[in-house]
Amino acid sequence: MSTPTQRLAVAAIALVTLGGPALAADLVIGTATEPSAMDPLFSRTGPNQNIAMQIFDRLVQPDVNLGMHPGLAESWTNLDPTTWRVKLRADARFHDGKPVTADDVVFSLERARNVPNSPAPFSNNVSGVTGLKALDATTLEVKTAEPTPDLMERIGFVYILERAAAEGKSLQDYNKGDGTIGSGPYRFKEWVPGDRVVLTRNDAYWGKKPEFDTVTIKFISNDAARVAALRSGAVDLIDGVPPADLPTLEKTQGLKVHTTASARLIYLALDGTRDESPFVTDLAGKPLTPNPLKDVRVRTAIARMINTPAIVDRVLNKAGVPAGQLVPEGVQGHDPALKPIAFDLEGAKKLLAEAGYKDGFGLTIHSSNDRFAGDKDIAQALGQMLSRGGIKVNGVVTQPYNVYAGAATKQTFSAFIFSLGNTTPTSGPGLRNLFMTNDPKAGTGGFNRTRYSNPAFDKALTEALSTFDEKQRLAGIQAATKLVFADMPIVPLYWQTVSWASKANIAYEANMSEDTSAALASVAK
Amino acid sequence: MTVFVIRRLLQSLVVLAATAAIVFVGVYAIGDPAEMLIAPDATPAERAQVEASLGLDRPLPAQFLTFVVNALHGDLGRSFVFNQPSISLILGRLPATLELAFVAIVIALALGIPLGLLAGLKPRSATDEAIMTGSILGFSLPNFWQGMMLIMIFSVWLGWLPSTGRGTTGTIFGVETSLATWDGLRHLILPAVNLALFKLALVIRLTRTGVRETMPLDFVKFARAKGLTERRIVLVHVLKTIMVPLVTVIGMEIGSLIAFGVVTETIFAWPGIGKLLIDSIMRLDRPVVVAYLLVVVSLFIVLNFTVDVLYSILDPRIRVGRGA
Repeated sequence: MSTPTQRLAVAAIALVTLGGPALAADLVIGTATEPSAMDPLFSRTGPNQNIAMQIFDRLVQPDVNLGMHPGLAESWTNLDPTTWRVKLRADARFHDGKPVTADDVVFSLERARNVPNSPAPFSNNVSGVTGLKALDATTLEVKTAEPTPDLMERIGFVYILERAAAEGKSLQDYNKGDGTIGSGPYRFKEWVPGDRVVLTRNDAYWGKKPEFDTVTIKFISNDAARVAALRSGAVDLIDGVPPADLPTLEKTQGLKVHTTASARLIYLALDGTRDESPFVTDLAGKPLTPNPLKDVRVRTAIARMINTPAIVDRVLNKAGVPAGQLVPEGVQGHDPALKPIAFDLEGAKKLLAEAGYKDGFGLTIHSSNDRFAGDKDIAQALGQMLSRGGIKVNGVVTQPYNVYAGAATKQTFSAFIFSLGNTTPTSGPGLRNLFMTNDPKAGTGGFNRTRYSNPAFDKALTEALSTFDEKQRLAGIQAATKLVFADMPIVPLYWQTVSWASKANIAYEANMSEDTSAALASVAK
Repeated sequence: MTVFVIRRLLQSLVVLAATAAIVFVGVYAIGDPAEMLIAPDATPAERAQVEASLGLDRPLPAQFLTFVVNALHGDLGRSFVFNQPSISLILGRLPATLELAFVAIVIALALGIPLGLLAGLKPRSATDEAIMTGSILGFSLPNFWQGMMLIMIFSVWLGWLPSTGRGTTGTIFGVETSLATWDGLRHLILPAVNLALFKLALVIRLTRTGVRETMPLDFVKFARAKGLTERRIVLVHVLKTIMVPLVTVIGMEIGSLIAFGVVTETIFAWPGIGKLLIDSIMRLDRPVVVAYLLVVVSLFIVLNFTVDVLYSILDPRIRVGRGA
């Protein structure tokens, strides 16, 4: 029996204990990668953006599926094909209390073009912009050289700095916190290179209230050490959980795993353009012309020899989702009609015979061995599968990524495993980089390492990307996607699954862009 | 002595020049730094911009020439990744590594010499067997595995010590160090022990061998005959004799502790220069790799020299600069 007073007391205690941590909690994150600077526009690579997105806002905000939502920009309209008007929210303030104005946006976008010695500049985000004008405190006019329907996907992802605080500051100043003033959910406190970044809560944040007083982000690059740090309680949340540790962590009491399929596609690229390919041989090991990989039937046959579900299951501890195109479901541009290529050994052999290679041909498979979880094991598995499919696998060679990446770009290999992480709301930019004709002048095909070139696809995608109507644009991208995968210039294997792990009292929004940010963490209810 | 120093200096310059050339070309041969640096979805225009701003679009000899000219002016180049002078990056991380190496070597000597003496004075006793078996573990277990076990036992199971990072630093004599705070010391223990274990085993074995070799010598018998206490014989006369090989080996080992504590620094996320080196190699941050190795080579040159001078102090029969 309990009196109402007793019950009230119990409720009060429960409230205090449950509500307590949410009021004054700190968060310690153990992250695998480390930023190279505190200037948010210095480098566009993931590790730098992970820190920048907590301190700074952008005109738009991505959601966990890479979808685009209003950020500092409340709305945007297209006045004519080359003129845009962007309306900023009035309630956003920088950490020093000053309002975020259109002039700050002009400053940031102009600065993005020209950050000295930036190893990964944001210049493409603003490359087509020819004019920027602050019409009033919260209205911005943008002129572009050409019609740019995806303008907000570009300028929208540039971090916005405060002109008064950031103008004329050097990289060293930013690294010390001078000029590192944004309008994001957390304020910059300190960066100890090699060790940690410390952030504190921005109580005046306009969006979802940040939950933690102090956030310490520790850099623990070694996988086993990161997992141990979580298990010892030294950190509350870790990213980059190795697939091999997932089953143990899931079973450990007091810990939680947060997993999602990412938009990072792992694929097997096939050199289907050159008449002679360096690692394609006849059965005697002599160079083979013409290169059989030029035949779409051979490329399709190779795709059918690969049992991706088995690879995901056995090699990757289920940390993958079989893929049949560039981006997974949920990302715009995904075409539900394009299923993962079914494993079909007989069909593959028949196609090979049709193409005139009944007895197969010789092929060496290349892969990196330290780029992503399981890359060298996948190469071995592919070697076995291809040889069962009737191809004489001359060898499987794996190299460290710093050797491998440059070699792959120089077209050194014939069949090689690579990955592409999509970070944009639609698959458009990815398709343009990976499959359009390699043309440095036009800015297309930057990562087209097989030098695949298909005028029909180029035309279809270019048209789609310059369409202003959103629906038509997506339909165009989907049509182009269909076109390119019918040709099989690469064999899509799987989308990587990415995982975070935390103490049970921490919730985390697992996201496709592989972001690790305190803004995505919260105290579990 | 002067001739000796001048000759050493000239030799050192040749070594430094050769190192710079080999590493510069070596990193170039590994791969393309631009490939490592640019964003994964960079456009060809962005790539060209990066190559031009870092000077990577120029032919190798031209790049090397610029490097040499700048190096002669005392500028070892800016890191591709951090856009900071590579030498200041290295010097910024050096204190963390130095304190780790210092504590490790103190642990190794403070435990190793007494244990080695114990073992050497009572050969084939149970104590000797126990110490020697223990030292085999220190020798043969991989550093990496030792580190993980230390973390598992003392951080995950017992929860006594932190397993990652450097903790709070304080200032002693103007130097920022973990030795100044309790939190810093706690963070220091596990990585220092991990780094010390191998050296500890080495010191034990060197000391034991030295004692075993020295004890039957005439001067020990003579000292005994003179009626010196066993304590004085061992702690003064024997110890002094076995110091010569110990100093040689330890001198070189300090160098390797500082330069190549990569494994320990990686496991314990210690923000030292070893971790900087491995990260820089992975990212082909050539200016940092070159500057690092030049610093390390200089370090070894200085250590070598110090060891040679210490020799002559410990053993008056050895004179620096004569003969070889």
